Amino acid sequence: MGKAKKNKRERTFFLITIVPLMLYLLLFVVPVFMGINYSLTNWDGLSGKYRYIGLGNYINIFTNKRTVKSLLFTGKYTILLVLIVMVLAMLLTLALTYLVSKKLRTFYRSVFFFPAVLSLVTVGLTWNQIFYRVLPAIGEILHSDLLSKNILGSPKTAIWGILLVNIWQGTSIPFIMLLAGIQNIPADIYEAAKIDGANPFQLFCKITVPYMLPVINVAFVMVLKSGITVFDYIQAMTEGGPIQSTESASVLIYQLAFSDSKAGLATAYAVILLIIIAIVSALQMKISSKFEVGQV
Amino acid sequence: MKRKLPLQIIGYILLCILVIIIIFPIWVTFVTAFKTTEESTRNFFAFPTRLYLGNFTEVMSDSHFGDYVRNSLVITLASISIIAVMIPLVSYAIARNRKQNKYYAALYVLFIMSIFAPFQVLMVPLTQLCTKLHIMNQAGVIIIYSTFALGQGVFLFCGYYKSIPIELEEAAGLDGCTVLGTFFRIVYPLAKPMTVTVIILNTLWIWNDFLLPLLILNKSASMWTLPIYQYNFKSAYTFDYNLAFASFLFSIVPMIILYAFLQKYIIEGLTAGAVKS
Repeated sequence: MGKAKKNKRERTFFLITIVPLMLYLLLFVVPVFMGINYSLTNWDGLSGKYRYIGLGNYINIFTNKRTVKSLLFTGKYTILLVLIVMVLAMLLTLALTYLVSKKLRTFYRSVFFFPAVLSLVTVGLTWNQIFYRVLPAIGEILHSDLLSKNILGSPKTAIWGILLVNIWQGTSIPFIMLLAGIQNIPADIYEAAKIDGANPFQLFCKITVPYMLPVINVAFVMVLKSGITVFDYIQAMTEGGPIQSTESASVLIYQLAFSDSKAGLATAYAVILLIIIAIVSALQMKISSKFEVGQV
Repeated sequence: MKRKLPLQIIGYILLCILVIIIIFPIWVTFVTAFKTTEESTRNFFAFPTRLYLGNFTEVMSDSHFGDYVRNSLVITLASISIIAVMIPLVSYAIARNRKQNKYYAALYVLFIMSIFAPFQVLMVPLTQLCTKLHIMNQAGVIIIYSTFALGQGVFLFCGYYKSIPIELEEAAGLDGCTVLGTFFRIVYPLAKPMTVTVIILNTLWIWNDFLLPLLILNKSASMWTLPIYQYNFKSAYTFDYNLAFASFLFSIVPMIILYAFLQKYIIEGLTAGAVKS
């Protein structure tokens, strides 16, 4: 290749990257730093003036009753969501792989995956109407006290209503990932282990799980992130109520920033979420890479 | 085999229950949308006795209804058009240079970082920035979606380009093809499966997205997308839930149709997108 031609090639490649890079710097990198900057101020989000207050907002988040409550809610919600979704996705994967014929498997797969294509808000609003109108109507027919109350109406049970909806929709993608993962395990390994006298439980623990660990890992982090940042469902169903009992971190951040004029505090809270997600993802990667090395 | 049979029966029963749980809300949405309030108070699950379309005409009589549909379509189509060209192209530049050139290696890492950042961090500054730049409108949302699609898109495409033999491109280069010529004549057609995946992932995300339009487009009804419209009418429908269900159908039905025709690609696309990020 001639030198002039090579230079031209290099210039073209460079020019290609300019527009995306500029957009990315302007709309992602700059806002992140703006956010970190705001998080150190008492800015209300409206006026042009603000004052730097150091780590005041961060201290506030861990001492203020409302923010602590929302952190605890988000933690509880995320743990329950991850546990239930992962177990359910794994059970569905095993059931479809070992109990169901190939033809039916395609049918079940289509049905269980379908919720993934719907909008979270629409799903939330639909279930909201179901909790509000449909289930109480069924409860009346069955004379069941449990059903005739709106599950979202009481501070004690509202979290379960939201979880149910999130699980209804949020299991589909982890499930389809695990299903793809289990189909990639070579069949002869199972055969060899069976000849050695392994029982189904041993097969599951010693072959299925280790082989699927990379997929489980990705699914886990994905569900975890969706739990920590849960917003659409709650905004569509309870808006944080009743009595702030379902105020997740993201819902409170939105409230603080756009209703309570506490943009500084809101961004500080968002930065904390970012840090939590980064730490948990890194930890998860580290732990599972250890296991993967262990099984080879 | 003998021991397996009861387990199989229990498994099938549980699977059927789950199928019912998945279909239940969709079923309720459909039958309620076609009934009057009195009719559904009598029985929620029964099939409508006649085809009542009043709920739909009422929803569509909203003077801005055409706007909501148009906004959703315009935003999705415009963003996807940009994404479907910009991301394969910039990924190509990165993939073919990042081994030799630190600039491209850094670019790769920079783009990937956005995958981990929760949107909440950007929420306040982005709204602020859009106000200052006077892009609190469709154009602003389209640019933001195109930019935020970069992280995952660049990651997926750089992985995919590894599977395309570089000899093909070198031969094209010797025949006098420019970089862009090689890309559009050889690489882009070969990367079509990944382009389809990225288009599907982003279409679902943008069509269904709630938070970004809530921040940028919530000012006037003429700017709303379908999810924002449904959200804002939450309180308006307190008394007439048949109307609410009819409005939900407007966003559920297009997805059912899309899913029916493109199921294979959607499942593959979402799996690939999730597994590889």
